[in-house]
Amino acid sequence: MERKINRILVANRGVPAVRVMHTCIDRNILTTAVYSTPDRLAHHVTMADSAVHIGEAPPGDSYLNMDRIIDAALKSGADAIHPGWGFLAENDVFAQRVLDAGLIWIGPSPQVIKMMGDKIAAKEVVERANVPTIPGISNVSNVNEIIQWLQAEGVEYPIMIKAAAGGGGKGMAKVECEDDLPQALARVRSEAKKSFGDDKVLVEKYIERGRHIEVQIIADNYGNVIHLCERECTIQRRNQKIIEEAPSPTLTPELREKICQSAVKLMKSIGYSSAGTVEFLFDSVTKKYYFLEVNTRLQVEHGITELITGLDIVRVMIDVARGKKLAFKQEDIHPNRWALEVRLNAEDPRSFNPSFGSLTRLTEPHGPGVRISSGVYEGALIPSYYDSLLMLIMATGPDREAAIRVMDRCLSRNLRVEGVKTLAPLLLSIIRHPAFVQGDFSTRFIEENMQDLISTFVETGDEDEALKVAKYVAEISALGHQNWM
Amino acid sequence: MKDYTFVTPGMSPREIVARVRSLPGVCLTSTGMRDAGQSDYKNRLRFYDLATLTPYYNRMGLFSVECHGGARWHVGIMNRRENPFYEIEQLRKKMPNVLLQTLVRETSLWGYRPYPQNVIKYVINNVDIDVWRCFSFLNDIRNMRVAAELIMKRGKLFAPAISFTQAEWADDKYYLSVVHDIVALCGGVDEIVLVIKDMAGVGSPARIAALVDTIKQKYPDLVIQYHRHTTDGLALPSLLAAARAGVKIFDVEEDSLTRFYGQPPILGVQAYLEEEGIPVHLNREAAEGAVEKVREWIGHYAWAESPFKGLDHGVLKHRMPGGAFPSSFEQAEKGDFLHLMPAILTVMSLYNKIIKYFDVTPGSQITWTTCNGIVNRYAKENGEAGVRHLIGLLKYFIIEKKQDFNALNREEKEELLQLFSNAPGDFKNLLLGHYGKLPMGWPDEWVYRSAFGSDWQEAIASREEESPLDLLEDEDLIETKKTLEEQLGRQATKEELILYLMHPKDTINYLEFRDKFGEAPYVLPTDVWCKGLQKTGDTVEFEINGKPFSIELVSIGAEHEGIIHVVMRVNNKTRVYTVNTPRAKKTTIRMAKGENEVASPINGTLWRLGNPKRGVLKVGDIVRKGEEIANIEAMKMETAILAPFDAQVVEICVKVNDIVKEGQLLFVLEKNGLKN
Repeated sequence: MERKINRILVANRGVPAVRVMHTCIDRNILTTAVYSTPDRLAHHVTMADSAVHIGEAPPGDSYLNMDRIIDAALKSGADAIHPGWGFLAENDVFAQRVLDAGLIWIGPSPQVIKMMGDKIAAKEVVERANVPTIPGISNVSNVNEIIQWLQAEGVEYPIMIKAAAGGGGKGMAKVECEDDLPQALARVRSEAKKSFGDDKVLVEKYIERGRHIEVQIIADNYGNVIHLCERECTIQRRNQKIIEEAPSPTLTPELREKICQSAVKLMKSIGYSSAGTVEFLFDSVTKKYYFLEVNTRLQVEHGITELITGLDIVRVMIDVARGKKLAFKQEDIHPNRWALEVRLNAEDPRSFNPSFGSLTRLTEPHGPGVRISSGVYEGALIPSYYDSLLMLIMATGPDREAAIRVMDRCLSRNLRVEGVKTLAPLLLSIIRHPAFVQGDFSTRFIEENMQDLISTFVETGDEDEALKVAKYVAEISALGHQNWM
Repeated sequence: MKDYTFVTPGMSPREIVARVRSLPGVCLTSTGMRDAGQSDYKNRLRFYDLATLTPYYNRMGLFSVECHGGARWHVGIMNRRENPFYEIEQLRKKMPNVLLQTLVRETSLWGYRPYPQNVIKYVINNVDIDVWRCFSFLNDIRNMRVAAELIMKRGKLFAPAISFTQAEWADDKYYLSVVHDIVALCGGVDEIVLVIKDMAGVGSPARIAALVDTIKQKYPDLVIQYHRHTTDGLALPSLLAAARAGVKIFDVEEDSLTRFYGQPPILGVQAYLEEEGIPVHLNREAAEGAVEKVREWIGHYAWAESPFKGLDHGVLKHRMPGGAFPSSFEQAEKGDFLHLMPAILTVMSLYNKIIKYFDVTPGSQITWTTCNGIVNRYAKENGEAGVRHLIGLLKYFIIEKKQDFNALNREEKEELLQLFSNAPGDFKNLLLGHYGKLPMGWPDEWVYRSAFGSDWQEAIASREEESPLDLLEDEDLIETKKTLEEQLGRQATKEELILYLMHPKDTINYLEFRDKFGEAPYVLPTDVWCKGLQKTGDTVEFEINGKPFSIELVSIGAEHEGIIHVVMRVNNKTRVYTVNTPRAKKTTIRMAKGENEVASPINGTLWRLGNPKRGVLKVGDIVRKGEEIANIEAMKMETAILAPFDAQVVEICVKVNDIVKEGQLLFVLEKNGLKN
């Protein structure tokens, strides 16, 4: 049965909210934005057709406040909720409550979210589907259990402690030796409790020099599951991706086929619908891949898959939520370009400390082969309460080299941000690094090459120089002759 | 058009010296780009303006242009925000015919401390200068050794200077012995120019003629250059007397730059000497052009001139060098003791008789700091009467008692023994021989008793007889570079390292300024640099890499809560600038300093004080080493703050849910001996 969607409440802020609203506008669907107090002048609020204030700054009071969000949807006449990514996107309780309120949930079913959200349960399901997993133990509550497991299975450090309910790089810690174990375990459990309301953790062997490869899946409610090929998200800092690309520069066509089919098989076995991603850790030495997790939501880096396939994944999600069948088959998917994405976070590019404040200057990249997915505008305030993502910058070309050239143009010649620090200098150094250009890197690329990367942070252009002079003129015009002169 | 160029960069020192010798008369060095500005404008003449002189200098037929070194370096970094390396690079392009000249203080180069040999070598190897004038405020020629060897080896012209003053002890015999040391060090007279550095401007015509004549009699082929300030009012006759005695090169400056304490005026010098029958090698028309050019911008620098104006024949007593004269008065004005200046100058003239060396950097600074410290102390304790008493005592001791300490009564002795009790560290270093040998030997014993108190005998025993060159251990330059890079947060260039070696703190400030304001010091005209744009519609235009830029003032808002908004059109785009005024409300964040203070390692939100096991932490609680005492969250990542040692909590400086900055003080702890 197909249902109609006239208005979608986007239960998010910043980049994901803006991204979802763009497709809604294209589809002639009205939008409702929700916002917390410090976000009242935010970009996603002004661009929506209507907006509802849902609480104060702390996420628990606003963007994680299920009651207020569902209430806002009902009051604003929305018939569906899209959660974007982050916040409530992988919260099965919320998904269920949306359904219970008689609204359409744009995403996979609460049952699937729940099953895949519990890493321990997910691992069992995955093993049943014959998809390889990393050696590990689940349901860990104390240090001794870990030590015993290490001995019993003959696993060596380093190991990874992860929140069972986690995702997105949060609630995890790499442990190098036994001495660090108690602290790390305590920290992960606490973060897990706070971020996901559940302090269950699991422990796995840490694969050195691994690469992060994930497969984009779309599925409808009628058992049709197809993949939109893979993305490589190996370049990470503190376990969070900052550069993604599609396709992966490291897979052979045979491996690509194998890994994508594994993902399809897994998602079919759990009755998945809507868009989702199966993440794998790829050991480039042994050419083995291991299941990591399923992200039961729209992924930050979905845009590069859209660029290489020409599809709009948010549109597919909306159509599936309305009860439509997928309008295409696997053999209709023909990626024909290379796409690269960088995450422009408001962070110090050396220390990764978040940077808050007002965007006093913002020039977005443009020109051939560029897609910008932004959540901000010049003058916008970057509050300290939320994710540091300002903007996704995507670049395409007929091949990897061309896509990198376009990205280089974006970062070096177009993009200008002042007022907050951003990762831009680091991102530019990475895409210019010979190892990156060669496609030869692992998830530890940044930590291994930090000195190299920092030393090649580029200087600014002539216009930036002129603006520095102007800053001086402004200051002296206001204050007059200075003592230090 | 006649080409007046007779020496050019790249020529060997021998060739340069030969060309000077073969001139029928004399030639000139213009100090317009360095000492002229240092002496009368506190080194504030900006490269933006000085660069307008380059086309004239390039065809003026000068021996050299002094454009570098001395205090111009330090003031460039500190006040003008200019980089001496940038200046050399630009000058090479703009006046390729001209020998560029610097002034170095033997072992301390352009800084204020003696450097070890490896630093001296590193610096000299990396600075592109043709003529290296080098002086020692002690005339301790041993200190020039490393510089001389390296400069001569590199094929650059070494110009050793003798520091000259007019004093009964500084006689011809003394100077001749200094010249002898120099000639020995430089292996003869064919590859050097000897400079008589009359930095205070005290050489009377007869005195200077006698000195030059003495030297020339002994070394007839030695090329002598006379550097003289005009302070005493006798510069022109002295130059004439020196020329007749055999000086071949004179330091001069543009007439329109001339005030009171710099070099004599170029056009006047040429006219006067030629009238007296001494040919002066100079393209007069180009020199007139430079003099005219100066008038276009010198009006912007009235603010930089000395508050004390006029020639001063009293310089013969106090001997303060031209380069230090205006800045001393400036310091006195800022420090609110301008009224004490006559007394300070008098005390300096008496001090000079007790401790004998030459008043030029760093000696002049030691004299100045020591003497103004003494006078200020007396003024503070006993007012004007105290200062009069001090001068009376010193005159009595020096003139009547001929510095015979034992001829004083007990009371007088005790007072004199207090004279240097608060003297600066550099004064003590001087007495210990850390700068080199004093020209007339060590001062009397009572000076040591006064400066070092009960340790005076040890001080005397530890006096160094060797040159600092042979005493100082090499500095680990890789380590120094690392320290600099840590402060900058990026890699440092060779040139930045050299700046840092000379003036560490000011270099960091300078580089931060340049990071923030970019090319502003080089592209803005001086009125805009000093005062900004004044009224609506005022526009400044400049170029960066040949591309034109324009800034037009739209409006300057009224001050509100410490902020002024300035609206400007930058290349036609309207931009609003927020300027914090000095009265801006500063939310002071306490930063952690001592080892008992715990800092936040990151920017974030402090969401928990204490830990789940203990609960909330309170003042007075005992914490164990390694125990989590707070937790900071940033972008959903947690960072535990651990107690650095067993301790008691003395102060908790933050509240739960405070946003904290990296380095912010979180806790004050007190180490305690816990009984386990």
